[in-house]
Amino acid sequence: MSILLMLIPISLVLLGLAIAAFVWAVRRGQFDDLDTPALDILDDDDKPAASPPDKPQDPSDAG
Amino acid sequence: MSASEDACFHCGEALPTQPIRQSIAGQSRSFCCHGCAAAAAWIGESDLGGYYRLRSAAAARVDMEPVDLGIWDREDLQAEHSHVINGGREIILLTDGMRCAACAWLIDRALAREPGVIDSTANAVTGRIRIAWNPEQTLLSTLLQRLVMLGYRPYLAGGEASERARLRERKRWLLRLGIAGLGALQAMMFAEALYLDVGNTMPAPTRDFFRWLTFLVSSPVVFYSGWPFLAGAWRELRQRHLGMDTLIASSTLLAYFASLVETIRGGTHVWYDAAVMFVFLLLAARMLEQRARNIATAQVDALARARPAFATRERADGSRESVPVGQLQVGDVLRIAAGESVPADGVLLDSDAHFEEALLTGESHPVHKRVGAAVYAGTHCREQPARLRVTEVGASTRLSQLARLVERAQSHRPPIARIADRLGSRFVVSLLVAAALVYLGWRIYAPERAFEVTLALLVISCPCALSLSVPTALAAAHGTLARLGVLATRADALDTLARATDVVFDKTGTLSDGESLQLQVEVFDNMTAERARDLASQLQRDSGHVLASAFAQGRDADRATEVETVTGQGVQGWIDGAQWRLGQAGFAFGGRDDGGIWLGDGQRGLARFILSEQPRPDAAQALDALRARGLVIHLASGDGQAAVQQLADTLNIAEPRARQTPEDKLAFVQQLQRQGRVVAMVGDGLNDAPVLAGADVSVAMSQGAPLAQRAADLVMTGHSLTRLAETRDLAMRTQQVIRQNLAWALAYNVLALPLAAAGLVTPWLAALGMALSSLLVTLNALRLTRVAGSASQS
Repeated sequence: MSILLMLIPISLVLLGLAIAAFVWAVRRGQFDDLDTPALDILDDDDKPAASPPDKPQDPSDAG
Repeated sequence: MSASEDACFHCGEALPTQPIRQSIAGQSRSFCCHGCAAAAAWIGESDLGGYYRLRSAAAARVDMEPVDLGIWDREDLQAEHSHVINGGREIILLTDGMRCAACAWLIDRALAREPGVIDSTANAVTGRIRIAWNPEQTLLSTLLQRLVMLGYRPYLAGGEASERARLRERKRWLLRLGIAGLGALQAMMFAEALYLDVGNTMPAPTRDFFRWLTFLVSSPVVFYSGWPFLAGAWRELRQRHLGMDTLIASSTLLAYFASLVETIRGGTHVWYDAAVMFVFLLLAARMLEQRARNIATAQVDALARARPAFATRERADGSRESVPVGQLQVGDVLRIAAGESVPADGVLLDSDAHFEEALLTGESHPVHKRVGAAVYAGTHCREQPARLRVTEVGASTRLSQLARLVERAQSHRPPIARIADRLGSRFVVSLLVAAALVYLGWRIYAPERAFEVTLALLVISCPCALSLSVPTALAAAHGTLARLGVLATRADALDTLARATDVVFDKTGTLSDGESLQLQVEVFDNMTAERARDLASQLQRDSGHVLASAFAQGRDADRATEVETVTGQGVQGWIDGAQWRLGQAGFAFGGRDDGGIWLGDGQRGLARFILSEQPRPDAAQALDALRARGLVIHLASGDGQAAVQQLADTLNIAEPRARQTPEDKLAFVQQLQRQGRVVAMVGDGLNDAPVLAGADVSVAMSQGAPLAQRAADLVMTGHSLTRLAETRDLAMRTQQVIRQNLAWALAYNVLALPLAAAGLVTPWLAALGMALSSLLVTLNALRLTRVAGSASQS
């Protein structure tokens, strides 16, 4: 049971770290905008976007 | 996506008969107006075409009306609303066109391409844009011009201090929830160790060690994260109105302090885990509900916007200066450019002018004002510039009087006791009484178990499911509403809408869009309708009058000569060798004025034009849907008898009310309310604001006046009126789900209470029952996220 004397302080330290990290993230505004950053990954800034694949009416309309 | 062939590629609105076609990224697209086409062209050229793929809602229509953004560069404005940062200045503004995250994405990218922009972030949820720019490299107005061109008009945010306070509040809630989550998890871990010790084999010092540890991690959860409940309970106690917060706080505190007592004296049970789980779950539910409502209010807030307001004042020597509206004084002489809004009430000097008073009267046609006539703040000067002498400023203007009427009507709104509150309050009282009785009973029967049983009773009957039942249902319903294109800004809006019996509609801007005019022609003698139209359009060519746009279709070469406007009467001119007059009957042929517009040659009236407003395309369908749901439809408008009657006939509305002032409309609604009806009001103009505030539940159209939206409970962001019936359905379903949830939660408690009172319930059984019950209630609420019939608008 003496292992508890080590594990429990460790768990408390980890809890403290988790809370500290969370507080830091909130203060830095990481949670301010939860919608826009999700879109960044969907669009590639480096190369011009290719013709959107999800528009079925496009080919007939091309001209 | 909204890019179907019969809708504008950019904004998704219905196309006019002759759409603008333009090639975007190699494909031909149709647009409703040049503004949309220009925006789409720029987006395509700038390689931002990803916007059209990413967006989940159609863009706002881009207005081609030029906007003067020069005032944004003024030093006094920037000093007040922006602050200096390293290398430049930073400002937070509001905009109205941001409808989904892709808009924020587009704004970020578009601004990043402008030279001189240091940094920018746009937030679609709150409708706010933060721009940091270097004033030496670019003007703020240049950046804003780019936004306007994409369809996002800038407005002043309510001041930096309130913006920061809003952000701080949101962060505090997040911290509370995060700490509650982490703390509750850890407390549960320690509690688990105690639970697993079923045979009581753990040595007492180890057990106490674990209990103290649990105490340590649950304290911040109960007191920091749970503070909103504690503060709420204290407020309820002071107001002598017991509600949910009292119950939550008393259960939490009892569980916490009882555990502490047990820990100190080494008793058999601790309930720290119950205390922290309450706080965490309830905090999460409350945050969900608040977030849904905050999104709605933030968007309306973004609509209830302010523009930087400056007026052009004439100095004594005739030169002009630009001054903030707040500095105007009675007696000042102002110059109003065409298209500008009037900053203060005044009388017209020098020459006649036209003013659009839609904001005040709901009448969308410009009103002709003669020299000396009163002009009101908030109206728009049309066609030619005007000079006026200020007679009223600030709070004494007609505009401010209307605003005060709104506030008064709001405070007199019939009180609505919310079903959950009512139930909750009774439940709290009876539960506390029951707990006291049980305690007394056990004192007599078995004093050593009295405390423990009472506590078990309070824990098991914890109103978890009961408190979750309403917030979860509301959160789910608000989410669905947002997808329908309806923003609910007040908590009880849905409740009242479900009980509504009558719907009162405004005309212009609500049932009709106020723009598409229909021209009917009656001809006499040997005149033909085509010729009459042609002659009228020739005469109207240069007048710039609103009617001119209705006449404009089908005009070929200009043949009219010597066209002159006779003030207040009409126009006359020579066409193909004959003189024609267009205007009131007396002017056109010497007849009696009948409200129509006549074409005549001075002796005979040859054609009569009747302008009528077209109802919105879906108005009839929407009204039928509402009637099918048993609602009585009324029409109250500030417009003239003929126009109102005509629209009422088209839409089959009985007893329309015409020429209604804001006060009349409010009186009409209050009269209905006295008859015991529950009135829903749908309107858009500032003239509707008082009645919107006074009705039991009110719906404003998003194109309408900001003040009307601030007074309304629901704001419709889409154009479609049919959403109204769907919203009503959702409101009914929400009420139903809330009732089911409450019934279940109460049944569970009624069942569990006697068992707990008899001392038969072990803590783990109580915890399991509580969790299952809460889960059931939440799942039931989630049914509301399904949209019946036509799905979301994207």
